[in-house]
Amino acid sequence: MNLQQIQSKITSMEIDVLKAVQQRTLEKYTAGPSVEQARLFFLLLPFFDGKQWSGKIEASAKTVSIVYAALHAHDQVKEDAPVTKKQQLTVLAGDFYSGIYYHMLTNLKNIPLIQRIATAIVQVSERKASFYEEAVRSIVDIDETVEVIETELLTAFYDFYGYDEYTPLAKLTLNYLRYAEELECLQRDGQTHVLRLLKQSLRHELHTENWLLEKLDHLHSQIVKCVNGYAFDYELKHFVLHQITPHQHRAEQLTREG
Amino acid sequence: MEKMKLKLLYSDLKPELDMIEKELEQAVDSNSHLLTEASLHLLQAGGKRIRPVFVLLAGKFGNYNIDIMKQVAVPLELIHMASLVHDDVIDDSEMRRGQPTVKAQWNNSVAMYTGDFILARALEYITEVDTPNIHEILSKTMIEVCRGEIIQIEDKYKLDQNMRDYLRRIKRKTALLISSSCELGALVSGTDEKTAAHLRRFGYFIGMSFQIIDDILDFTSTDEELGKPAGSDFIQGNITLPVLFARKDKEIYRLLKESLYKDLTDDERMHIVKQVRNSPAIKESKAISERYLNKALKELAYLPKSTANKTMRNIAFFIGKRKF
Repeated sequence: MNLQQIQSKITSMEIDVLKAVQQRTLEKYTAGPSVEQARLFFLLLPFFDGKQWSGKIEASAKTVSIVYAALHAHDQVKEDAPVTKKQQLTVLAGDFYSGIYYHMLTNLKNIPLIQRIATAIVQVSERKASFYEEAVRSIVDIDETVEVIETELLTAFYDFYGYDEYTPLAKLTLNYLRYAEELECLQRDGQTHVLRLLKQSLRHELHTENWLLEKLDHLHSQIVKCVNGYAFDYELKHFVLHQITPHQHRAEQLTREG
Repeated sequence: MEKMKLKLLYSDLKPELDMIEKELEQAVDSNSHLLTEASLHLLQAGGKRIRPVFVLLAGKFGNYNIDIMKQVAVPLELIHMASLVHDDVIDDSEMRRGQPTVKAQWNNSVAMYTGDFILARALEYITEVDTPNIHEILSKTMIEVCRGEIIQIEDKYKLDQNMRDYLRRIKRKTALLISSSCELGALVSGTDEKTAAHLRRFGYFIGMSFQIIDDILDFTSTDEELGKPAGSDFIQGNITLPVLFARKDKEIYRLLKESLYKDLTDDERMHIVKQVRNSPAIKESKAISERYLNKALKELAYLPKSTANKTMRNIAFFIGKRKF
């Protein structure tokens, strides 16, 4: 499978997911479902790597993507915002997408996967709620929280279908992408829960930036190592390293520092 | 007091309902101290537990086994709870059942994650059941309930909507989940299809009647009885049946039209409440509720006479006359 075919399959899955959750009012007033290409890539990775695949598995993969969209919608609900249609419908969008995923898996008669995904949602919700608990958190704990939020649903899917071999790469990559987003946000003077916790734990903004840069470097070198450990074909390796995780953060920083 | 009266009607079910209450508490136990606390806050604020009651009563028409019945009764109540905690974010409500809402006690995000957590727990629970159709009915119901809420937001502040819009909305918002409670209770206890269909229709009609009464009470009860300001629905732009009838009076129509979108003082709010309360709208709305109630009773007439049938009948009558 060449790069174009990989991209085209991801795009086709994205279109299917968007169609499955289409709702006129939600489209009009909300930001719409968040369907991230990197997650779609990892949901499709066993297929790209030539593992046993079927229409049923692909449909299940779509439902996992819908669950991510459901939970993401609820992350967008603002505090102390005036009651707007956008805010109200964002709440309902998440609930609506949850109903759709349940219904799709019911149609596939895949009740055990509904249960497995529900357990993953419980874990993700617990971790997200932990952002609002007052205790000071260790770096290890913050790191684990990010990992669960980013990968628990995907690893539930892998576990269920016996694709666990991809779990290490998916965890490294999705964590990498999350920390890259956090770094970008920090450099724009933005604020996120993860940045707040990192700053609390590391006690200084500059330390946080350095920690993130080092973390990204470390994750990237692990990703390269991990990718080389799989028997992926050249195009697939290339796609992971250049389309999903192009690594430039340290280089950018060195350029900025002259 | 009124809630006590209702509970007396199904006091036969008390041991089973106590068991379900314990299961609900266990179900919301979490590794997150915050999620457990927020969920228990919601759970302990009380509630009529009418959905589990209907599941259990419907189950009495088949091979009733509480260990199986609770696998449906618990998740249905959890799904209802999850929707309440999210509804309070949608409506920006500070109080529910006289207690601060989860969003008021903590914040919107905690309310969102609590709802997601409770819903996921409900699905973990119900997926233990392998009765055919259960998941199809429930998943469709969940989607339709959401569609109903989306339509409700679309229809907000539209004073010129018709009664069909209203009825379609409350069907999805309330009646479907009660209808599904009855149907699922029947199915897991292995009743025949005819019995399940009568129970489903009973649930639907009683759900419609229940919601209409709820909408009437928003105008006829006091702030204390409601645990929130009277007229809240109208203030939030929800056009309910009493408003649809009251607007036939040109003066009231003008008042309602002028008040929509306005930040009303308590006096202005109470003026609207009194105008609607004293108009024929309340009587007319009650008549519609009564029609649904009678349809619900007719469905029960097709079913074997039993204690469960009698209890359902008594609950139906109570709902028609309730004052809370």
